Amino acid sequence: MIAEFFGLFGRTLAYMITPPYRIKDIVRQIQFIAFESAPVVVFCLSFAAIVTIIEASFHMKLIIHNDSLVPGFASLLIIRELGAVVTALLVTSRVGAGLAAEVGSMQVTEQIDALKMLGIDPIRFLVVPRFVAGVISGVILTVVATCICLYGAVIASEIKLGYTAGHFIMAMRAFVHFNDLIQAMVKGAFFGAVIPLFSCFFGFRCRAGAEGVGLATTNSVVATSIAVIIIDFVLSWVFSYLYI
Amino acid sequence: MKMLTEIGNIVLFLRDLAQVSVKNKLNTHIVSEQIVKVTEQSFLTTALAGFFVGAIMTVQFTLQVRDFGALGYLGGLATSATVREVGPLLIAFMLSGKVGAFTSAELGTMRVTEQIDAIRCLGANPLLELILPRYIGIVVSSFFLLVIGLFMSIFGGLLMGIVFSGINPEEYLRHIPTIVSAGSILSGLIKCFVFALVLASICTYKGYSASGGAKGVGRAVVSTAVATMVTIVVADWLTSFIGDVIVTLYLGSS
Repeated sequence: MIAEFFGLFGRTLAYMITPPYRIKDIVRQIQFIAFESAPVVVFCLSFAAIVTIIEASFHMKLIIHNDSLVPGFASLLIIRELGAVVTALLVTSRVGAGLAAEVGSMQVTEQIDALKMLGIDPIRFLVVPRFVAGVISGVILTVVATCICLYGAVIASEIKLGYTAGHFIMAMRAFVHFNDLIQAMVKGAFFGAVIPLFSCFFGFRCRAGAEGVGLATTNSVVATSIAVIIIDFVLSWVFSYLYI
Repeated sequence: MKMLTEIGNIVLFLRDLAQVSVKNKLNTHIVSEQIVKVTEQSFLTTALAGFFVGAIMTVQFTLQVRDFGALGYLGGLATSATVREVGPLLIAFMLSGKVGAFTSAELGTMRVTEQIDAIRCLGANPLLELILPRYIGIVVSSFFLLVIGLFMSIFGGLLMGIVFSGINPEEYLRHIPTIVSAGSILSGLIKCFVFALVLASICTYKGYSASGGAKGVGRAVVSTAVATMVTIVVADWLTSFIGDVIVTLYLGSS
């Protein structure tokens, strides 16, 4: 199963760099993954930012009896972790489930066999556009969501903790470096790559019947969520060595 | 407008469910079967996710705390953040991916293949026979999963604390009881309970009201995933906010 997955991954990478490129398909997928998910992602992340501010203030007061460092820490946490990971988990449940159901029902209704009969490689036709679109829109969504999430954090810290927006931005400039944003973008790209790969993989392996499609969807969502968390851990570790 | 209708329908559905659960005697056998099934299904996923989340929290907190020379507090900080906030949220996300999707797909398939109507024809109440056991099963087993996830996250954090930030296990564990208070654990449990209620309500409702063949089931599953994610995040904020207000009312300004 793991060998099969890496076979799919390798062939996707190989087909990605050889023409034809299917720009139109890629743009359409970006619209589905990035543009249509944006409202949900932005909404959820803004709430997550508010909760982060409240909780960070609680912990800071507990240990150093002072929450004047909360804006800096919270913005660091939002940019490094929250922005990329929560976005990825939300996109997994929305886009990943949708893609797995789509590819799975194509497999069940023998549309993929029909593609093969016509001499079209299903990986080139289905997986590559989704993969490329996933990587691009992972980066876009992470950056957009992080920015709006920071706005939410600014508002929350102003209302809840009484720090002005100016103080927040000053603290952010002291704590956050440009490297952190690049780290978030790299994470976003990795997560965006994982989501379509797993959904298509489980979609291709889908067994017949309505139950098979449901099972493929559930499996792909669970596998992707776990993969996102593990990749996040590995990348955090790697980046923490790169920066110091 | 459509969203308001949906919310109203969920409230009506929950009212029916509450009526059924009050009027009838609960079949404890089916309920415990569901609890075991849900816990068993999500055990490995939750444990794995908890382990890595604990590890991530430790790595991030190390980077932040190290500059202040407060590495001794690392264990307490990471554990406290996990217990209060990240743990329940994570369990809810994992449950919504695994159990929520599965339940709504199962109920949706039953609805479109008219099995639910068949149950009604046989004189049984589908709310009592199908929905209530699943509802209670999800809520109860979320607590078991929370405990598993939290212990695994402490373990993962401890391991990363030793490997990455280089502090002794004793140092890491010593500050956990001083920082993690009973209030934090209670807040984590309440959050977990609220998330489980939200998740169970949405996934059973969406599955129960699915329509339109196999495609309708797929639509129900995807909309369950999106709706639970959004509602869980909003509920997270709401419980934090209300908890804050209550604590301030009782203790004065902290």
